[in-house]
Amino acid sequence: MRMNETEKELVEMVLSGRSEAFEPLVTPYRQPLLAIAYRLTRDLEEAKEVAQEALLRAYKYLGRYDTSRSFRNWLFQIAANEARDRVRKRMREAGAVEEAGRESARSKDPDSGRSSREFRSDLENCLSVLSPREREVFVLRDLEDLDIKETAGALGISSISVRVHLSSARRKIRDVIVAKYPHLQEGS
Amino acid sequence: MTCAKVKKSLPLLAGDDIPARRARRLLAHVDGCPLCRKELDEYRATLVRVKAAAREDRVEDWSDPEWKGLLARITAGKMEKRSPAPGFRPRWAMASGLAAVILLAVLTLVFRNSIFRPDGTAPAPGPEVVSVTMVSQETGLQVVWFLNKNFEWKGDK
Repeated sequence: MRMNETEKELVEMVLSGRSEAFEPLVTPYRQPLLAIAYRLTRDLEEAKEVAQEALLRAYKYLGRYDTSRSFRNWLFQIAANEARDRVRKRMREAGAVEEAGRESARSKDPDSGRSSREFRSDLENCLSVLSPREREVFVLRDLEDLDIKETAGALGISSISVRVHLSSARRKIRDVIVAKYPHLQEGS
Repeated sequence: MTCAKVKKSLPLLAGDDIPARRARRLLAHVDGCPLCRKELDEYRATLVRVKAAAREDRVEDWSDPEWKGLLARITAGKMEKRSPAPGFRPRWAMASGLAAVILLAVLTLVFRNSIFRPDGTAPAPGPEVVSVTMVSQETGLQVVWFLNKNFEWKGDK
């Protein structure tokens, strides 16, 4: 998705000192930005911090932004980078054992009917089998509906790399659903 | 097209992420192969369900006052100065200059004998006869070939 004229005008306005133009520039991406941050960090509070940091950087470094690129992809790329850094830092700090403990705590499945919270838990557990890069690619391509090229642009990797990771991610998710969550497969 | 080859492409085919021509070839196989058809249907069903789950699992949004406050804090901060116009890219200019210098140096080395002789005469011809010696490491036997300038064996050993 290339940048549209309105966005270009808004960027120019912000750069010329009219900071009030920043709100209409980023508001269309408010929800997807937070969703991406949440899917990558798996924590709402951290997701809000990631999205906030992405917006802050987008404003601060708007002068570096190349207007021939999609603003949305640029913003998502900043958020994905920030989320990746935080997840790595968290993993280092918490240690692999503690992280595994959190994963298993998340995967506890109550016996009663499937409320939306349990459903979310299933989705989260499906995503937890992916490597960080596979997760990024899957979230952007399949959950946020960016196309391959846009996903590549947002993650700063090649389209071939996106295809490789996407293929692997879909295979893993299908395997885990068939093995552990057949109700998702059947659509019940 | 074999099943093994098709199965590798099924995850991407399920999400329409394969170029149309290749997708047609894969689908032609899938239509006649129940096992590949089943697997493709599983991938498609998985994607549909995961997307639906993600839609149901809508992430809690900022409240409007929270959002307004956030933007007010962000826009109160400083912006970095605008980078130079897209036409001027110092890194590209430096890289191009360096590439030109390297190319010039390589050309100088390659053609110095034929172009830059100080007395302006033609470069000296190469030796008329070339010899190639092979020495056996085990026995110490030496075999010497003498070749003329066209690398034709002259028969001497």
